[in-house]
Amino acid sequence: MKSVDEPRLREIVGEKNIKSDPSDLYVYGSDASVHHAIPWVIVKPDTTLQVQKIMEYANQALIPVTPRGGGSGMCGQTVPIHGGIILDMKGMNRILEINMPDVYCRVEPGVVDDDLNLALKQYGVFYPPTPASSRIATIGGEIANNASGVRSVKYGATRDAVLGMKVVMPNGKLVNLGARTRVEASGYQLHKLMIGSEGTLGVVVEATLSFVPIPEFRCMGIANFDSLEDAGQAIGSIMSSGAIPSMLELVDSIAIKAVNKTMNLGLKEVAAALIFEADGMVKEAVDYEINKMKLICEKHHGKDLHSSYDPKERAKIFMGRKKLFPALSKYDDNLSSTSLADDMAVPYSKMAQMAGKIHEVAKKNNIIMTAYGHCGSGCMHTKILMDTRRKDQWQSAQKAIGEIYDYVQSVNGTTSAEHGIGLSKAAAFKTEKADSLWLLQTIKKALDPNNILNPGKLMQAPDDWVTATNLRYSVNS
Amino acid sequence: MKIKEKKFTHLKKWDATLASCIRCGYCFEHCPMFKYTNWESDAPRAKIITAFGLLAGQIKPTPGAAKKLFNCFYCKRCEAACSSGVSLTEIFTDAKKDLLAMGLKGPGTTSITHMNCARCLICIGVCPHEARSNQETGIETDPSKCQSCGICVEACPAGAATIENSFGTSREELTKKAESFLASHSSAKAIVFACNWSYYPELQASQLPKSETKDNAYEILVNMCGGRLEAQLLMAPFLNNAWGVLVACCPEGECQHDGNIKAKKMVANLQNTLKTIEIDPERVQLVEIPAGDKALFQAKIDTFVDKMNTLGPIA
Ligand SMILES: Cc1cc2nc3c(=O)[nH]c(=O)nc-3n(C[C@H](O)[C@H](O)[C@H](O)COP(=O)(O)OP(=O)(O)OC[C@H]3O[C@@H](n4cnc5c(N)ncnc54)[C@H](O)[C@@H]3O)c2cc1C
Ligand code: SF4
Ligand code: SF4
Ligand code: SF4
Repeated sequence: MKSVDEPRLREIVGEKNIKSDPSDLYVYGSDASVHHAIPWVIVKPDTTLQVQKIMEYANQALIPVTPRGGGSGMCGQTVPIHGGIILDMKGMNRILEINMPDVYCRVEPGVVDDDLNLALKQYGVFYPPTPASSRIATIGGEIANNASGVRSVKYGATRDAVLGMKVVMPNGKLVNLGARTRVEASGYQLHKLMIGSEGTLGVVVEATLSFVPIPEFRCMGIANFDSLEDAGQAIGSIMSSGAIPSMLELVDSIAIKAVNKTMNLGLKEVAAALIFEADGMVKEAVDYEINKMKLICEKHHGKDLHSSYDPKERAKIFMGRKKLFPALSKYDDNLSSTSLADDMAVPYSKMAQMAGKIHEVAKKNNIIMTAYGHCGSGCMHTKILMDTRRKDQWQSAQKAIGEIYDYVQSVNGTTSAEHGIGLSKAAAFKTEKADSLWLLQTIKKALDPNNILNPGKLMQAPDDWVTATNLRYSVNS
Repeated sequence: MKIKEKKFTHLKKWDATLASCIRCGYCFEHCPMFKYTNWESDAPRAKIITAFGLLAGQIKPTPGAAKKLFNCFYCKRCEAACSSGVSLTEIFTDAKKDLLAMGLKGPGTTSITHMNCARCLICIGVCPHEARSNQETGIETDPSKCQSCGICVEACPAGAATIENSFGTSREELTKKAESFLASHSSAKAIVFACNWSYYPELQASQLPKSETKDNAYEILVNMCGGRLEAQLLMAPFLNNAWGVLVACCPEGECQHDGNIKAKKMVANLQNTLKTIEIDPERVQLVEIPAGDKALFQAKIDTFVDKMNTLGPIA
């Protein structure tokens, strides 16, 4: 079982790029999820050739390999449930080319999103999918998770920005997928298959990405609502009106309370707030979009409306949303903010009900949950605040999650909007995709017949996420 | 998974905080250790995970685990970046206290004293954190107090005080980095030695394309606290045809080690020396940058490079 030919790996990547001290293995056993499992060895390749050789070896020795970027996945995507090799891709972190005439850049997978955007900024362009975790998330991890973020409502998700990629397959073969052109109609779009595959089909070793100009003008506005329903209807109306927000965020009463309680921001404690933004090269066009959104908010009883182009004012408007994570972490000394039922997507018309459902389920199960998210793309986030030491709270959380995803499916939503499936959302994912699971399994089997790449995730993950791995908390029995 | 309460008497109080760290990794961002080694296991999140593992009895207090907690420059940039308000360095200090009680001494990035110590006691006087003391066995450092500022290293006339685990910040490594930058960049003019607080790197560990970097006029090298800068280090780039050397440190009253006062004195002395050998003293300058003010930092660098352009190379 737990045997890996370390000297051979050492030969491939060099002495400096391998770690196997128990204290290092322990650290690499977790990401931003609730899970923890210990790998056998950590290998940090510098080159594509090294990745190929590692995969060749692992495939022949039948050793699980889990690619890892920044380790910011929220559902246990990089937690090595079956042990094996952690392939730390952060060693391949070169920006290879910024090609302005052809409007693409080529990067290695370990390049951090923020770093790429800093490099692109000098050319007046940006790579838009950018998740909130952009200061740590790598391009490889974003591709594997099909990450998206606050601006995806206008600019799309990772899937929309990746033109092509180089991938090392489980057998060690290197393939070139996609193209460097804007359009491609040649055969199966295999690069798109890799996007969102959570490191289960191939190891991305290079990506060709498109970018867009940084807008000259950005204007942000906010509207408060006395009922979730009104806010929900405003979202639906904005999105169906043809308005083009570059951001449309929802925060609920619990989020606002949490921020006020811990940060003293003095936000008005209303049922919900919508934060909206428009951007563009022409101010009149931005004005047009902002005014349109303001009018719609007003129509749905939005209050305290205001908006601003000034960066400082914009930061102030966004403050409540920005401070949400620390606020939730500090909400109560006995409660921890866990990444559970962390994201989902529902049709616009169901946003408000979804938020209401989250509150109802939380109350029923004696935990605290808040609803917030990039509602412009139908994405809803939450976190579960609970006493992680108490076993019964984990049972409550499990029950709550089941109820929430049942609701998501009943309104034709989907299990994950952007954080992926990994381990902790697998049960809901498997129910949602019940009729196509065989297809997913067939693809996995065809590309990875020995099941060595990130095994035990997505459709292979155990149904019971609580017992799937150790939890990364101390739970009293 | 029950917590072993006996052993970690100091760390114990952080039980809830360790659970409330959401493991987002935002603290990676500008940790100089992570930036230097590019190993996640050197990043602040890894230290928090290790502290949790120790407290929960999930990992053993081995030298490997202890090393993670003893390696830290206390720059607190992780704390500034933390999404959840975790007091990382206080946790590290408490973990160090417990590990010390178990006989694990690091030293990690804390300073040690070599045999050639002359017992002049200078280091004891300069240490801003009262970490050094004169014991029967020699000059000892208390690793739970030492914040790795490096001021004793600079002050020790015998060269006996050292930080062995320097993560790229030792005089030798910085000299070498400056040398290789000056040799490989056609437009290279200046070296900027920046303390880790004033320095807000634009980029993390990702590397820019070659075409982007080859004509940089200056290179920023992080030296941790300005108080550890030595005259030899600042003069070395001139041997490799640098036009100027800029030192950035915290404004008065804002340095947690009072290292900026030492740096100022040192730069003033150097300027006097330059005058005596008829080199324009403005070729070595010091600027004060409040933590994280990267706009000001960039402006100061630009002004300095402009000045060097008017002075030209040293004849
Ligand atoms: C505070 C916080 C906020 C977040 N906000 C957002 C958000 O707004 N939007 C969003 O979409 N996500 C968000 N996330 C989730 C997460 O950051 C993203 O999914 C991100 O894309 C993960 O990138 P990573 O480099 O950390 O990948 P990791 O977590 O290291 O890995 C994620 C998956 O990618 C695979 N992988 C990594 N590199 C490769 C490679 N080179 N080849 C093949 N597979 C690979 C891994 O095997 C794993 O399955 C957030 C996370 C946190 C902690
Ligand atoms: S204090 Fe500085 S060196 Fe220490 S872990 Fe935090 S960022 Fe890294
Ligand atoms: S930034 Fe804070 S919450 Fe996030 S991993 Fe680091 S210590 Fe934990
Ligand atoms: S002067 Fe700085 S490095 Fe030296 S012992 Fe004191 S705190 Fe540590």
